[in-house]
Amino acid sequence: MCLGSPYCRRVEGNYAEALDLLPGVVSRLHAAGKRAYVATPAVPREADLPHVARLVDAAAAAGADALEIHNMGVLRIVREKGGFVPAHMGAYANVYTHLAAGVMRDAGAVRVRPNAEVSLEEMAILAREAGVEVEVLVHGKIPLGVTDRCFLLTEPEESDPKCPSACGEVHWLTSRQWVLKTVGKGVLSGRDMCLLEHLPRLVADGFRVFRVEGLYETAAYRSEIGAVYREALVRAFAGGSFALEDRWADAARRHAPRGLCNGYSFGTAGRMYVGTVLQDANPEV
Amino acid sequence: MAELLASGGSMEMVRAAFDNGADAVYVGATGWSRRRAQYEMDDTAIVEAERYARSAGRILRVAFNTLPASTEVPLFLARTDALYAAGVRDFILTDPGLMMALKNRHPDTILHASVGCTIINVQDALFYKEAGASQVVAECRMGKATMRRIKAEAGVGLEVLVHATTCYTLLGRCTMSSYTKYGHRVDESGKDHFPGSPNRGGLCYRICLSDWDQVGAAGELEASGVELPNRAYFLADDIPDLIDLGVDTIKIQGREYSVPLVGRMVRFYRELIDACVRDRAGFRMDPWRERMARIVADRDAERREKTAGLISESLDR
Repeated sequence: MCLGSPYCRRVEGNYAEALDLLPGVVSRLHAAGKRAYVATPAVPREADLPHVARLVDAAAAAGADALEIHNMGVLRIVREKGGFVPAHMGAYANVYTHLAAGVMRDAGAVRVRPNAEVSLEEMAILAREAGVEVEVLVHGKIPLGVTDRCFLLTEPEESDPKCPSACGEVHWLTSRQWVLKTVGKGVLSGRDMCLLEHLPRLVADGFRVFRVEGLYETAAYRSEIGAVYREALVRAFAGGSFALEDRWADAARRHAPRGLCNGYSFGTAGRMYVGTVLQDANPEV
Repeated sequence: MAELLASGGSMEMVRAAFDNGADAVYVGATGWSRRRAQYEMDDTAIVEAERYARSAGRILRVAFNTLPASTEVPLFLARTDALYAAGVRDFILTDPGLMMALKNRHPDTILHASVGCTIINVQDALFYKEAGASQVVAECRMGKATMRRIKAEAGVGLEVLVHATTCYTLLGRCTMSSYTKYGHRVDESGKDHFPGSPNRGGLCYRICLSDWDQVGAAGELEASGVELPNRAYFLADDIPDLIDLGVDTIKIQGREYSVPLVGRMVRFYRELIDACVRDRAGFRMDPWRERMARIVADRDAERREKTAGLISESLDR
């Protein structure tokens, strides 16, 4: 489980800000047999770096299993502190090549999540050549952009009464045939990434780290989609025939009001769906 | 004194930029920069531009600032080897792995970390310095305090864009364009092309500049005609401060604009910088504003036309 939000330090329930709560939540996750990762800010301006340094220390002291890092400066801070907590490079770290992954590996990264635009075929090369674990987003909103100015506010965030509640609500951006989701400082896909029917291929290709993105989603989304993927992955790893259960497809559709896609996995535009089972949510495919 | 760096989207633009006072010009290697091919140059043109720059005692920088596929690395090395053999030494890169590979191969190359690196703090600057960059481009909204700190602590040159756009999201960290339309093809040389992705050398369809509505959870309209700000800027008031800060390079972006317009922009900044340096204490912006307004109006007209075309192109299936 990844704690905290890379988008905004003011978002409600951000464990990466409530440093005194970190030891407790990390302990609870460990007691439940889970690993605890902590997200760091994706856009840390100079003024944020002292907090980042404190966060790195707090995560280490709490026994966190890894830090999720999007910014090269943060990676450097972790390395300078001795690299006591392994680094996982996040979606905004712009990992496209095995050479970049290698530079990050040498700076302390043990896992990379390639940029959303990187296809599954490219990810397999990257994993093989760079010698790092590759994390694959299998379900959830695709991160499309990040900034440090909140789109949902009209006043500075310190004084706008809509902060921090605005990004806790659902807001879509629509234009022509496109739908995006805004979370204030981040732009996400309108459609939900879904690789459910492609899990056997991912397993065969050697991928072993799969992410269900639950940021800015409900608890029901996280638990139900998470449970679907746990069951589906067990089946995919068992080998043999793999057919989607109707209830898996129902859950995927129910939690994706704007439809499903599978991102750039197969070299197409991110909003497209490539497959044979769940494409009915996207009539143009 | 700060170097004035201008865009070179064609040989004609390279000449115009130098002839109007640029100290350096950047060009994109075909398939390897953040613009479409018509604003990039093949190796023959790059070598010609490099000779033109050298003969004038100026510098030509070649941008290989895409984030390529791993399979493109051998092509990158072969192409930069060829340009190196032809005398090119100055490169602009984004991928830290490519930076390190090129620096290890040719230690006397001069590498600048591109705007696509999204350098927002001093630790970022130090990271790219360690990857081989001797100069970094400041993210477009970087404040002067951070610039000052990078100059004081990072030990790298600092480049500031005075004519560019501030994207809705952070430049280099946005894939909104390719979410809507994206392709992949491999050309006869084995080079991958990814139309729709500026990060990967395709063009940005600027979908952020489309007409957007904001809609709530149940589909209710919350706001119509909302703007996802993506504004072209033209900084002039900041030039004296940038000079005082010791900024190493003042950059004019704009390979996609017309050659006469780029020439006028370069001439404007050349004269502004020279006037400021000549008499810093007595320098006043007011006399420059009318001329600047005319250039901005012409720039905006060209940009509007291009944006409409790009959005329309993104709708093609």
